[in-house]
Amino acid sequence: MLDTFEILTTSGVVLWSRSYAPVGANIINSLIRDVFIEERIVPVEDAAQKPTYKKEGYTLKWTMAKDLGLIFVAVYQSLVHLTWIDKLLDNVCALFVGLYGEQVKSKHTTTLDCSRFKPYFDRQMQELEGATPSFGKPNVALTPPSSSGNDSVEDTRLEPPAAQNQAQKPIFNHDTSTDATPVPTPDASRPSTPAPSHLLTAKAGPGGKLSRRGRKKAAAASSPAAASSGDEATRRKTRSSAKKNRVWNEFGADEEDGSVVLDYSTHDVEGDLAQSGPALEEINPETWGKKTSKGQFVLKDLDDEMDEIIAEQNAKKQSSTATASSGGIMGSSIGAIGGLFRNVVGGKTLTKEDLAKPLKGMEDHLLKKNVAREAAVRLCESVERDLVGLKTGSFTTIESTIRTSMETALTKILTPTSSLDLLREISTINSAQHRPYVLSIVGVNGVGKSTNLSKIAFFLLQNHHRVLIAAADTFRSGAVEQLRVHVRNLKELSRREGGEVEIFEKGYGKDAANIAADAVQFAQKNGFDVVLIDTAGRRHNDQRLMSSLEKFAKLAKPDKILMVGEALVGSDSVAQARNFNGSFGPGRGLDGFVISKCDTVGDMVGTLVSMVHATGIPVVFLGVGQHYADLRGLNVQSVCRLLMS
Amino acid sequence: MAWHDEDSWLTTAFAPKLSTIGFTFLLAIVLPILLHQYLYRIKTPTSLPTFLLIGPSAAGKTALLTALERGSPIPTHTSTSPLSVQALLPEEYVPSSASYRSPGDPAFERARRFVLYDTPGHGKLRHFATTQLVNPTNIQGIIFVVDAAAVAEDVGLNETAEYMHDVLLALQKRYTGNRTSKGPKEIPLLIAANKLDLFTALPPHLVKISLEKAITEVRKSRVKGMKDSGVGVDGADEGLGEEKEWLGDGGEGVFEFGQMEEVGTNVSVRGGNVVGGQGSDVKDWWEWIAEQL
Repeated sequence: MLDTFEILTTSGVVLWSRSYAPVGANIINSLIRDVFIEERIVPVEDAAQKPTYKKEGYTLKWTMAKDLGLIFVAVYQSLVHLTWIDKLLDNVCALFVGLYGEQVKSKHTTTLDCSRFKPYFDRQMQELEGATPSFGKPNVALTPPSSSGNDSVEDTRLEPPAAQNQAQKPIFNHDTSTDATPVPTPDASRPSTPAPSHLLTAKAGPGGKLSRRGRKKAAAASSPAAASSGDEATRRKTRSSAKKNRVWNEFGADEEDGSVVLDYSTHDVEGDLAQSGPALEEINPETWGKKTSKGQFVLKDLDDEMDEIIAEQNAKKQSSTATASSGGIMGSSIGAIGGLFRNVVGGKTLTKEDLAKPLKGMEDHLLKKNVAREAAVRLCESVERDLVGLKTGSFTTIESTIRTSMETALTKILTPTSSLDLLREISTINSAQHRPYVLSIVGVNGVGKSTNLSKIAFFLLQNHHRVLIAAADTFRSGAVEQLRVHVRNLKELSRREGGEVEIFEKGYGKDAANIAADAVQFAQKNGFDVVLIDTAGRRHNDQRLMSSLEKFAKLAKPDKILMVGEALVGSDSVAQARNFNGSFGPGRGLDGFVISKCDTVGDMVGTLVSMVHATGIPVVFLGVGQHYADLRGLNVQSVCRLLMS
Repeated sequence: MAWHDEDSWLTTAFAPKLSTIGFTFLLAIVLPILLHQYLYRIKTPTSLPTFLLIGPSAAGKTALLTALERGSPIPTHTSTSPLSVQALLPEEYVPSSASYRSPGDPAFERARRFVLYDTPGHGKLRHFATTQLVNPTNIQGIIFVVDAAAVAEDVGLNETAEYMHDVLLALQKRYTGNRTSKGPKEIPLLIAANKLDLFTALPPHLVKISLEKAITEVRKSRVKGMKDSGVGVDGADEGLGEEKEWLGDGGEGVFEFGQMEEVGTNVSVRGGNVVGGQGSDVKDWWEWIAEQL
């Protein structure tokens, strides 16, 4: 069953929502965070299916009206399989855009009176739920009166949405109980109403509009029978009288259009309008006028209007694609000239075809900058997703629009979600938990793990920390000696500064994880602030070597695991980042990247983007030279500039 | 009919005829008026004072925006794009610039209008806010929304302090980078301690103290921190010339919000809550806005 349906703007304001069961706001928040902002989960591009997102037992489906900045989200329990959500999203999107599109566009306000949207939505729901092959649904049309026997006539007349509400309730019952008979409803005194059978036959029609019309007829036919039955005779009468009006309309008695009952409803509606203010009328008088004259009393009248709006929206969409694709010689040439002109002046609505060629150029450009193909394609796709359907600004070409969009996309990817202040983290851990801060470094062979480790050690020493370097590379000959040389140098350098550095070594051939754990214990005993653990280089697709990392993470419990990656590596960087990120066991991943040898690639710093794109993990440091001091933080703007140059 | 004939148009135009004089007179009177009308129309309507809503994610910026716009908040979610909304100061508050005006005065009504500009607080989307800070045209004040309950814990406090440090530093840079002797317009900053209805929330004065402490820490570690890649990777010397700047009093000692007054930013801390059991309480913030208008 659908739990919640929300319509919100990209700026976060919920314009309209309908909730059947309480769903925490955090569910939709995490959808926005994970999918729209951090793009951790890339929605599968599939024309037939809307993208889904699963969180805490809920499944979320959404669609967007990009030009208006609207997001339509449907939330339901993952256990329930709902096939009609896609259709609902499409229809509601078309309806809402059709009804309120102009109002949403107006600047400088968030207020939007959507109180009238509810009947439309409920009708859509009913229709789509009815379309699913679950039997016993036709009862819905008749059960609501029985479930609310004490409702007065006045109430139902005033508040058709309330009646709709009640109409929803039995649906819940029916979904939980597989029984198709109307027995569980309290109205047991009416066992043989003819209506259900009528409606069932109506259902058997080919579906869509025709079946609805059939249903309408059936309802009209059945209502007199219903009126004669049981205890709610008065109620039924009002309903049936209303439906008689519909019948009159349908048989072409036009002069009966403004009938007595409808006069009641218009009176009520006028009261409503007076309350909601004049803004409504001045914005869309035709729509509302229609509604009031036809009356919101008989909800089935909404169908026609609803279909009209949806059809109109679909037609608009199709015509826009049609004009883009076809046209005669004359039309195409004028179109081409107009397109060229618009391309220069701006104000052109972007389509997929417009974007294809410039985006290909952009992709090639990114590939030249050493961005892995996978990442480049994904970036271009996200730019395309952003831009399709948008209008270019005045005096901007498609190319420059794509360029700015790509720059924003790059900035968004590279900017870390949380701050990466190593010094602050160290001081918090040291003072709050009274234990050393453990940082370990992993990576493929020969990328510069030990070098970068000693650079980080130098940085920490400059800030007067006591650093212990653990030589957990027990495999490669010379690794321990190399670290020993580094430590000797660092000692020399830091003598005046006031830091202190030691090495923890156990020789070769021992288990690295145990050495790391011992080093942490040793540091704890001797009052070191930071433990830096060097590990052996390993090939990322060698399962045997990678599996030992899980044990390492479990024993040494590093606060931060950094992976060193070369800026020189090409498309392999994506696989490296992924494999290392997944090798520490469940619930533990990398915390950041150190990209080494950045000085050797010039402006081809695409590796940064590839690695961050593959994992969503930020770049912490860049190695930019051979000296101990040649370690830098990441400056997102400058990297973007390099990539776009 | 050549131009020198008596009844040619040129001669008529210069002849002392009544029609010519009348036409010229009319033109002289009407043209400036039309020109004025035209220029007045095409010029954008006078820009309203803008208040910038800044703060970490889930502090309640968008909710506050809706509460200020329509009196009561509506449900909101994480923002991904900025939003600007026109709001009106309620009757009971008098904008400081119009305190001498009578309520019927149209200028009085005009003075009560302002624009709220909401920015996304998510770490990746803060560029919307920072670009506004670099070139603050007609920004009358900044409202930094803080979750007073999240500030009570280390994680929330650190995030808030870092963001606030960056905002204050940007404001200071705007002041010190100014070339003219007059100095740029002052931009006051309100720290709106939101969610005071929660049991775990810190009262406003404690929010102030803990933020000052945390910003001191942030500043300390920024001073020690590493150079960023902008200098090295580019290979150009553009970064070497400019000195890095530290927030307040050269980055030494304890940071206090009072230090920001030197650079034209008056910081005040006020509490309230947008959503809550007893309805929203945004009185103090309205007062602050009224003072700035």
